[in-house]
Amino acid sequence: MNWLARSRPSGTATAAAPTKPNSAVSSDASSAKSRTSNGLKEFLWLMSDVSHARVLDLGPVWQATVNFFLEKGYRISTDDLLGTWKEFVAAEEDRLRAAPVTEDGFTARLSAAALADKFLETALKYTEESFHGVLAWDLMDYFEAPVSARIMNRLYDILHPGGAVLALFHSRAPERFYRYRIVDTQTVELVPASALAAHARVFQNREILDLFQKFRSSKTFVGRDQVREGLFLK
Amino acid sequence: MWRKPTNAKPSSQAPSTPERSTEIPVAPKAVATPEAPKPGAISEPKLAVSPVPAAPPVPAVPPTPAYTPTPAVPVRAEPVTKVVTHDTASPSSIGMGLKIRGELSGSSDLYIEGEAQGKIVLINSRVTVGARGRVQADIEAREIVIEGSVQGNLKAHENIRLASSSNVQGSVLTPRIGIDDGAKLRGKVEMTRAGGSNAGGSNTVQSSSNANKSTNTANVKAVATTAKGE
Repeated sequence: MNWLARSRPSGTATAAAPTKPNSAVSSDASSAKSRTSNGLKEFLWLMSDVSHARVLDLGPVWQATVNFFLEKGYRISTDDLLGTWKEFVAAEEDRLRAAPVTEDGFTARLSAAALADKFLETALKYTEESFHGVLAWDLMDYFEAPVSARIMNRLYDILHPGGAVLALFHSRAPERFYRYRIVDTQTVELVPASALAAHARVFQNREILDLFQKFRSSKTFVGRDQVREGLFLK
Repeated sequence: MWRKPTNAKPSSQAPSTPERSTEIPVAPKAVATPEAPKPGAISEPKLAVSPVPAAPPVPAVPPTPAYTPTPAVPVRAEPVTKVVTHDTASPSSIGMGLKIRGELSGSSDLYIEGEAQGKIVLINSRVTVGARGRVQADIEAREIVIEGSVQGNLKAHENIRLASSSNVQGSVLTPRIGIDDGAKLRGKVEMTRAGGSNAGGSNTVQSSSNANKSTNTANVKAVATTAKGE
């Protein structure tokens, strides 16, 4: 898979922009909105080279997304990383509350980095190079820097050489928390949900490149809704 | 001027049933008990039925308003009603508070509200893990419905449904799958041919469906398979 050597998929260049809710799709969440995603289109174009590509969706499981990939003959795995993180942090808080107070009056609270290491002892435990594509959506915005760096390292490891990560970055703190599901090859639906975590930070472009520094190349699409879509190739 | 016929008053029935209050507590139990000892029953039916000595053929024909009090219905009959009432097909059931460890096989449908560990193989049956059910086992069945929590791989020969309250950690192998919004799945989804198996786990599926995003209908239908290595 080498996008530098391939011609672009036709009609990619239109700017990503939020569109009106698709009535056929947003039957359950009236406030759901859909947006055009050139990043997704390019991601799928990269996957199309691989027969039976394996895709990891780091969002919640949706019937629509599962069907979308299965119909293409892909294998889809889902792992709601932010949900798992929330459960992990809650368990850690419980552990801290139950832990005895030390002599100096403090409990042993882990640093963000140590917390991330502990989290990754059980999360994202996949065989190395086992996925051709990872849909990270806007998760990185919700992790602190040491955590997102470690997660990205793990994602790099489980990604097949030539595989791609699709990640979204808000240019300002989002008004509310959304989960993403795929409608078609170029459209994702943003489903409002109760926030699993507070928005941690807004990435600068340089920080994004640093986060994905191990990756071979990157491509960014900027939408009118101030969301940057990044496609990173291993 | 229109007048209600006097005997149509709702209150007119009340005085005619002095025995009504005695009829309520026992009559439903008499209906619920009869078919409990089913041959394919797996766990609780056996446990529950054994203490009730041949559940005395309670005059289970309740239509007669005159109720004859049955002294044998008392306290022990309670668990039996728990088992039978869930479904008209009277599946075997692992009720709340019950834990089972080991391999479970047979031909009866199974409903789990308790805890199960090990392996569940009911190839021609339906396995339902209720909202309070907690399973740490691989499940293989004709049809699997998950409303509770499962740690293990699911393999169905017809379809799998993950309800909105479900929480599954493991792979899902099935010809059709229905996923409600809110369901939690940590693992992979693979399709097989309907009724067939996918021993290598390497079949590719072209599926045809008009998936409704937020409903629980079975959506993906396997049409063709081609085996290729991972």
